[in-house]
Amino acid sequence: MTAPPVPTLTASTALYWQEAAAGRFVLPRCRACGRFHHHPRRWCPYCWGTDLAWEQPSGRGTVLTYTVVHQPPSPAFAVPYVLAVIELSEGPRMMANVVDCSPEDVEVGTPVEVTFEPRGELAIPQFRPIGSTR
Amino acid sequence: MSSRALDGRPAIAAVEELRPGRYPDEDAAGMPELVLRRFLEGAHVGPDDVDGLLVCPAGMAAGRGADIFVHERLNDALGIRPRFCETINVGGATYTIMASRAALAIGAGLADAVLCVGAGKFPKVGRGGADAMARMISHPDFEYPYGSFIPALYALAATRHMAERGTPRDALAAVAVCSRDWALRHPDALMRDAGPLTTEMVLDSRPIAWPFNLLDCSVPCEGGAAFLVTRGERARELTGQPAYLLGFGEFHDHGNISHASNFATMGAGVSARAAFDMAGVSPSDVDLAELYDAFTINPILLLEETGLVEPGKGGQFFLDGRGAPGGDLPVNTYGGLLSFGHTGDASGMSMLIEAARQVMGEAKDRQLDAEIALVHTYGGMMADHSTVLLGRAP
Repeated sequence: MTAPPVPTLTASTALYWQEAAAGRFVLPRCRACGRFHHHPRRWCPYCWGTDLAWEQPSGRGTVLTYTVVHQPPSPAFAVPYVLAVIELSEGPRMMANVVDCSPEDVEVGTPVEVTFEPRGELAIPQFRPIGSTR
Repeated sequence: MSSRALDGRPAIAAVEELRPGRYPDEDAAGMPELVLRRFLEGAHVGPDDVDGLLVCPAGMAAGRGADIFVHERLNDALGIRPRFCETINVGGATYTIMASRAALAIGAGLADAVLCVGAGKFPKVGRGGADAMARMISHPDFEYPYGSFIPALYALAATRHMAERGTPRDALAAVAVCSRDWALRHPDALMRDAGPLTTEMVLDSRPIAWPFNLLDCSVPCEGGAAFLVTRGERARELTGQPAYLLGFGEFHDHGNISHASNFATMGAGVSARAAFDMAGVSPSDVDLAELYDAFTINPILLLEETGLVEPGKGGQFFLDGRGAPGGDLPVNTYGGLLSFGHTGDASGMSMLIEAARQVMGEAKDRQLDAEIALVHTYGGMMADHSTVLLGRAP
């Protein structure tokens, strides 16, 4: 079994992954327009402001859309798994797996909250249905 | 409405396509030469008839790095010294966008006749190919670690479309059935000998990524095609009935699919509205549609976004057999990527070639009464949209 992929840190994203490894979900927020964005980059994609600060959003959102994967692209991924795009309460969208639940429990609109999955020395943000008891 | 007719009345004057399949003796550099050999055998043009060349990069879908200087190699191979020439890539939208670039160049006096070439290899998905393509089309850090890969990313559009517009799962299967029915009428279609499909066969095939089963996915293969765009006057000398470029439009939405503006539409409507506006015609004037169909959700979504059916009615359109042979708006009349074959880097060629053949009256056993044909392609994960309208009259 191949190990699942580990993100590569870049100048713009290192803090995102290092904070995730410490169990904190952080995103860049534009000081000019006040909006969070994902993924982290060198400027705000909404107003092109370049004065950014790292802050913690609520970590909550909803499933914008999803799929249940039955045939993985490589043996590194155990099936079935839920691949989803999460719309965060603050607006930005991001890809993640919906974990700690059965794939049948996931629908468009399911409320979710952030959790973390260790990957190598790091961790990647994942989401689980709010109220999941697993 | 009055048409804003393009300067020079650019038209497609000749098309030739390789039979989709596997070409194990050809590497990525050899494929465009194979396509050109086919074109030279079929189209009666010589080096003096061409002063523009557009070609796709070689080897991209194989995931081993693309050659972006193919135009230079083909100039030498063809013995031409064009006035307008480049290697261009917009993924699956490359070829309809080549047609628009050629038309613009002709209109601006940069060229009189532009040869457009596409050729593709496709890795075998079962031998690490799926993973190689997943790395290429996903964000390496914010998507790939979550197990993203091509069918799953399109499934994100399907699930959202189903939830937002009530598209039933059966309708996706009906798209595959429709395409197979057309493939049975095309001598070169990869799945022609596999015989007809039923909805049940699609629903019973192996699950890949909900809602897609194996038969909701296009068939990987290799191939390519070439076409010549010239001034209308010259096109009429080369062929009895050219396919005039009435209008075209494009729109570029996201880079990675996580940033798609809208998963139920993927931004596809903008390019169609621009094309209709340029052509001065409306969706009700369209006689047939060729819609890029890597997966079964695509023709449903694209029919709605191009305005050919109302939002939310795309699924029912296929359940009612309206796109199939005998239907009122034939869709993917060559079998689509689903049943004709998905020729890797060259995939976006097949639907443009078929639309041109239908308009030019060269579609043989599947010939329809096609005054105006719509072609919609996209590149990336439904990111770069391109719509072209072809017609019999300039």
